[in-house]
Amino acid sequence: MNEQTVVQVQGLGRKYKDVIALDDVSLEFRQDRIYGLLGRNGAGKTTLMSILTAQGFPSSGSVRVFGEDPYENEGVLRRICFIRESQKYPDDFTPAQAFRAAALFFAHWDQTFAERLAEDFQLPLKRRIKKLSRGQLSAVGIVIGLASRAELTFFDEPYLGLDAVARHLFYDHLVKDFAEHPRTIVLSSHLIDEVANLLEHIVVIDKGRIIMDDEAEEIRGSAVSVAGPADVVAAFIEGYPVLFEERLLNTVSVSIAGRLNPAQRREAAELGLVLGQVSLQQLVVHASLSAQGAENSLNDAAHIQRGADSKEVTR
Amino acid sequence: MNRVLAVSRMQLINKWTFLGIPAIILGGAFALCLAIFTIIPTEPKYGGGAPFAPLWYFFALGIQSLTLTFPFSLGMSVTRRAYFLGTYVTFSAVALGMAVIYAIGTQVELATQGWGMGGYFFRVPFLFDGPWWQSLAVSFIITLFFFTVGFWAATIYKRWGVTGTLVVSIGLALLVVGAIFLITWGGFWGDVLGFFVHISVLGLAGILLLLVAAMGAGAFLTIRRAVP
Repeated sequence: MNEQTVVQVQGLGRKYKDVIALDDVSLEFRQDRIYGLLGRNGAGKTTLMSILTAQGFPSSGSVRVFGEDPYENEGVLRRICFIRESQKYPDDFTPAQAFRAAALFFAHWDQTFAERLAEDFQLPLKRRIKKLSRGQLSAVGIVIGLASRAELTFFDEPYLGLDAVARHLFYDHLVKDFAEHPRTIVLSSHLIDEVANLLEHIVVIDKGRIIMDDEAEEIRGSAVSVAGPADVVAAFIEGYPVLFEERLLNTVSVSIAGRLNPAQRREAAELGLVLGQVSLQQLVVHASLSAQGAENSLNDAAHIQRGADSKEVTR
Repeated sequence: MNRVLAVSRMQLINKWTFLGIPAIILGGAFALCLAIFTIIPTEPKYGGGAPFAPLWYFFALGIQSLTLTFPFSLGMSVTRRAYFLGTYVTFSAVALGMAVIYAIGTQVELATQGWGMGGYFFRVPFLFDGPWWQSLAVSFIITLFFFTVGFWAATIYKRWGVTGTLVVSIGLALLVVGAIFLITWGGFWGDVLGFFVHISVLGLAGILLLLVAAMGAGAFLTIRRAVP
């Protein structure tokens, strides 16, 4: 583990009675970067963040945050902020009181910034939290997450119930504040295209397993879409694995895994083909579906195997 | 800043929760009792359990502290240990405040012969018969006891859900039935009743304090493994 490593997870597993929430997860978060923790609902994102912040307990494996075990570790925990998607607040608190509480616990808390954010999100500071709408509740969590300026900050689906304007306000503030006060940020989300431009590194988790863990640039560059007449495209992409295919009358747009060199790009232009970027969302969806597909085909194989066995028996 | 004290201060951010509402309940009960005392001609008159009206609220606060401020505190990156200690600092401070009010009220009632009309609200017979420091200790322990019962029960629920709460309740009921069975079977009823008749106030408070310590320790161990 080098100095810049903030989080190190090795072989982490979490089992509930009959569900495996996390399965042999290993990863590393480094200092002053923005990570995207992406995946479908129920993939294990919240479970993972809960364990990293010692709110939840692992069944197996090891977790090191700032080089130490975070459980009941005041020195580690005081550098972390994790407002969960379903964060509970004392029933009789107002947002203003929740912020005053946060000021007690986060050493880098910026009250002016918190007030400015609350104003931008049009958050009623003196209304009781239990009377807030879902979006306003999310805004309380966002304000605490941003204004706490914790060295390691987790945002767990922070935009639930927020309209598009408020979501963009959040993204803008996040980017701006990150530039002025660099820290490690982990943003869990399933609105992948919306957050894609913020993220430097992407971890995709599916059914408790990590299926993608790479730099955002690497992932974006790992595929390209080729559009044009069907037969020309088919000839051009010969040999490349196909991710998606879209047909429009007699033109097609095919996304392939792989990089094109400058010569190939020139050739495509000469053939009248249009090259484009594949969106992060499409790549993540594809990865999730193929992870599932691999599992299904394994199941199918097992099924066929069993079928063959039973035939054996009847014979 | 010390995280334990920070938790304790957080519990007091909303002044109504721990201070305002108990003050209103106590003040209301006091005013009501005095009004009734002026109607009743006989002397002396006692408020009965009236001064303890806020205790039921404290029981509920014990539960609420856990269900709401525990998840919130973990969100504020507080250790479970700091949360527990800080909450108990607040409980103790409020219990001490209540105790001071009871002790002073009792002495004032003694000095003024029940507000000049033989009406005693604070001075509960038996419990507050002794000197002022005894009233102080006894009311402090009783208040802390009510907080702890609520808090402890809530930790059981938080950690093991409805099943756990049921198991513990049934277990406690079985213990009581078992004790009654043993007492009856052994013919100890005379001794048991004698014990309660002769026990001093301080003795009773001591038993409550032991229960507070046992439930507090249980709550602490449970919280150490609880998730928000």
